[in-house]
Amino acid sequence: MASMTLVPLIPFLCVMAIGYRYFAQALETSTLSAMERIVADHRRMIDSFLSERRADLEFITRAYRFEQVSRPEVLSELFDNLQRASHAYVDLGIFDTNGVHVAYIGPYSLTGKVYKETEWFREAERRGYYISDVFLGYRNIPHFVVAVCRNSPRGQWMIRATIDSLLFNDLVKEVRLGKTGEAYVINSEGVLQTNRRSGGDLMQTLDDPVERPETQDQIRTFLAKDARSESYLYATALLKGGEWMLVARQEQSDAFSALYSAAYLILFISGIGGVVVVVIAQFMTGRIVRHMERTDAEKDRLRYQLIGAARLVELGEMAAGFAHEVNNPLQIIRNEQSLMEMNLAELPLPETGNEEGPLAEIHDSLAQIRLQIDRCAEITQAILKFGRQQEPRIREIDLGGVISETAAMVANKIHIHGIVYTEEIDPTAPPVASDPAQLQQVFLNLFNNAVDAVIERHGSSGGKLRVEVYAGKNGTADVRVEDNGTGIAPENMEKIFSPFFTTKPVGKGSGLGLSVCYGIVDNLGGTMAVESRQGEGTAFLLRFPGAGSPDKAEK
Amino acid sequence: MGKQAMRLLIVDDENRFLETTEKLLAKKGYEAITAASGEEALEKLSVHPVHVVILDVKMPGMDGNQVLKEIKRRHPLVEVIMLTGHATVESAIDGLKAGAADYLMKPADINELVAKAEEAFSRRRQVEEKIRVAQIRHTTGSARRILDETGD
Repeated sequence: MASMTLVPLIPFLCVMAIGYRYFAQALETSTLSAMERIVADHRRMIDSFLSERRADLEFITRAYRFEQVSRPEVLSELFDNLQRASHAYVDLGIFDTNGVHVAYIGPYSLTGKVYKETEWFREAERRGYYISDVFLGYRNIPHFVVAVCRNSPRGQWMIRATIDSLLFNDLVKEVRLGKTGEAYVINSEGVLQTNRRSGGDLMQTLDDPVERPETQDQIRTFLAKDARSESYLYATALLKGGEWMLVARQEQSDAFSALYSAAYLILFISGIGGVVVVVIAQFMTGRIVRHMERTDAEKDRLRYQLIGAARLVELGEMAAGFAHEVNNPLQIIRNEQSLMEMNLAELPLPETGNEEGPLAEIHDSLAQIRLQIDRCAEITQAILKFGRQQEPRIREIDLGGVISETAAMVANKIHIHGIVYTEEIDPTAPPVASDPAQLQQVFLNLFNNAVDAVIERHGSSGGKLRVEVYAGKNGTADVRVEDNGTGIAPENMEKIFSPFFTTKPVGKGSGLGLSVCYGIVDNLGGTMAVESRQGEGTAFLLRFPGAGSPDKAEK
Repeated sequence: MGKQAMRLLIVDDENRFLETTEKLLAKKGYEAITAASGEEALEKLSVHPVHVVILDVKMPGMDGNQVLKEIKRRHPLVEVIMLTGHATVESAIDGLKAGAADYLMKPADINELVAKAEEAFSRRRQVEEKIRVAQIRHTTGSARRILDETGD
């Protein structure tokens, strides 16, 4: 019963678990791909911002000669043009081959200073260009510098611009993913190149365990705890030839908040669904169990009948043979007994006048022997009736008529014991082809049994005997003989049609009544079944083929 | 020609039954002979005049029904009462159809046997009486001849 209830839960829970797993996977994939997309987009924007600035300066170094740009009015015009292209330009300076600042347009007075030994100068000389990390200028505005070196046939010179990094700082700062998603740029030492929304100012060094992508184009995603041991989903990409790194991150709980609410929903549905499944399973199981019990009971009843039918044929033949053989010795015993009585009567008897003498006892014994022989004779005759059915004299008869006639035979007995007899005859019940005398014997037996059972239970009032004749399925005529007597004990149900089975006291019943009935009904092509509850009553169900149907009595 | 006493023939394969039945009938004042088989019964019938035969149905050799037919063929006036171990009307009907006067079911009481035998015997006598009357009518065609005959 418990397993029948729980088994339906298993597929349900499996579906829920699999659903959760795939949903989690899909959500993780989509969250990560959103972060990857953001990182890729922003990397492209920042990289193109940087390369545009470098391209601006490279254009100048190719379009102008050193002598031209060293002139402040030319440089000033170039600076104006650059500022029109991008507001990010803060200043612009020209350096000769020795690192002397020969011309400068900007807010500071830097002309004449020598930069030969500075890192940016050497780097630009070596690589042809240089882009610095971000730094804060005097006005506390984040800047970086871009320098481009020009090797002309007439010597090497350099142009350098300071660029306000606010532009891409804002660009990066605008990134929003859920509640906690953000993006920022750090250099190879972990120094912030932009502000970070969740805390961390420009130039601050972060010690978050950020993993670097292995190649320029790769975007790396991973899960890690930051310095405050919050779990974050990270996506990183390299910028500026690997010197900078763009980092996008989102708190794991935030990234998966949809998943968590889905999980709660799943748990909730599982809970409700589980309860529903269990309740329905319980209900259905109960119904199935009840149905099976009913079927079993039905089967048991059928089994009684089958056992009865199969065994009765054998038993009947055996019993008849036995009875026949017993009748011969019984005949001899009877004759011998008669002879003894006669001889005894002829003896010249001493007249003692004593009635208690041995002679009286012999007379008594002889009388008893006669009585017992009669009893044996009755039994063997009943057996023979049961075992060897007489050839039925078939004619078309009305069951109702036979039943009424039979009831009249026991009417007196019924009346004396205060039994209420009811008869319901359905006029549409088909007539049957049968032997009225034999049917009468069947109903007489049934009525007598019913009356005995009713008297045993109710005494002389409260008894009921009901006979119903109705049209059965397939053109049969069915009879139900029902009483409210003692009923039949379940352990006896199998045996009631067996010959010699009786629950009546010794000498009261031969135990052949019902087996004779069964034999007769069977012989007439009918069936006989019994339903009974101990202490409530018994119903016998007889079914006879209608006179018109093809499977009528045959023998 | 006074009232004839009934003579019986008992046919059964059980010797003890034959002996005891013979004694019982003797005590009741009847003369009876016995036969242990159908063949023996037919033999004895051809020698001894018998009025009523008590015939067991089930016997080795010729069975009761065969013997009955044979008796009826040879001695149509002999009454036969079938004695059967079967309680079935069926076998009794067979016997009655074949000309038996009545049937008895084993174990039969001697008084019952005698009563049925007497009944059959009286019927036989009635039949004989009718035959005699018929013969007389036939022969009274010449009363003189009868007078002549009796006058002898």
